[in-house]
Amino acid sequence: MKNLINFLIQYSVVFLFLILEIISFSLIVKNQEYQKSVFLTSSNSMVSGMYEWSNSVVEFFKLRAANDNLSEENTALKNQIINLQNKLSTLKPEISDSIHFRIPPEMEYRFISAKVINSSTNKLLNYITLNKGAIDGIKIDMGVISDEGVVGIVKTVSQRFSVVIPILNPKSDISCKFKRSNYSGGLIWSGEDYRYASLTDIARHVELSLGDTIVTSGYTSSFPEGIPVGNIEDFKIKESDAYYKIKVKLSVNFHTLSHVKVINYLNFQQQKDLEKKSEEQL
Amino acid sequence: MPTVLQNIFSFIFLVLFQVLVLNNIQFLGYINPYLYILFILTLPVQMPRWFLLVLAFILGLSIDIFSNTLGMHAFATVFVAFFRNGIVKLFTNIEEGNNPTPSFYTFGVSGYVKYIVVMVLIHHATLFTLEAFSFVHFWILITKILLSSLVTILLILGIQSIKTK
Repeated sequence: MKNLINFLIQYSVVFLFLILEIISFSLIVKNQEYQKSVFLTSSNSMVSGMYEWSNSVVEFFKLRAANDNLSEENTALKNQIINLQNKLSTLKPEISDSIHFRIPPEMEYRFISAKVINSSTNKLLNYITLNKGAIDGIKIDMGVISDEGVVGIVKTVSQRFSVVIPILNPKSDISCKFKRSNYSGGLIWSGEDYRYASLTDIARHVELSLGDTIVTSGYTSSFPEGIPVGNIEDFKIKESDAYYKIKVKLSVNFHTLSHVKVINYLNFQQQKDLEKKSEEQL
Repeated sequence: MPTVLQNIFSFIFLVLFQVLVLNNIQFLGYINPYLYILFILTLPVQMPRWFLLVLAFILGLSIDIFSNTLGMHAFATVFVAFFRNGIVKLFTNIEEGNNPTPSFYTFGVSGYVKYIVVMVLIHHATLFTLEAFSFVHFWILITKILLSSLVTILLILGIQSIKTK
């Protein structure tokens, strides 16, 4: 007994070391269930509050670029309004006598604008923190876009903040397609460069050319169809391969990201329920 | 007593500097210095080891909370803290009963540089390997470890050489 106690005292530091390492490691492993750890991540309100404060300083330097972007977007939107008004005026007589009125699919989406208060591009697992949370109507699995294209998907939500898994994270898997030919595949980030990602599951019979535009496919309920993701920068295929290796230049510059929109798909729950029901019936 | 206060301040300062400034450095996409390890490196040599480990754990966890990498920094920092005394003994000969704070003056220039290089390399290697855990890109990993360690080492040596005794 005495020996045992002596042994424990002699190696107490080693035991402490092992215990602390085991705690850390179990934290790493548990962190895979990302939603549960809101408290110990940057959507925790104290940490986020500080990031918000630090961001308000940095943001000042990005104002010019943001302004340019906004004015560009403004013009594009105005052009769209004019186009749509023209179309509307030609269609009006038909709509007025239609009995089967319903909300068209294009109007099921609402946007919640938010600001990026923390983000990284140089890790293997990158995350983005936004300054809007459950109070502003953000829910898990909503899509996030910027004026340039797709950013990522909301993964954790607290009362006032939320954390997004961007394309720049191997855990994200966003379904994309070619704007030209409608062939779809999954977009995966390889961890090397924040400007590029790779597109998988494109079979060898598909015709490609450099610069082809890639957009969201609309198969995941987080994003509507047709939001730009990037362009083909390079593609390779070996004789023995069945699938292309495609390098995509992302249209969003994650390094200068500051204002984003969260997509609120109004029929999300209904679609999910319906899909679940049909799976159960099979 | 002033040493304790000084260390508390340096703890807070290093954590804030790490998460607000250094985590935003993304030079070439590879380099991300982790200067906060300086806190562990400058604690007095004869500090009780259990206390050193606990401090390392708290330090790592604070960094983790800010950078969404729960557990990784804690693991690496505790790891490097555990091997600190052995490495100090390896590179210096401190007389029994002395309790110096590691610096150029107490360790000698070459001893101190070796101590910093080895400690930073261990820390960065552990950290980046953990980060890449589910993810195999060996050469990227090695480049990241070496480049980031180099920057951290230069930063630490720079800061320490400015410090007057």
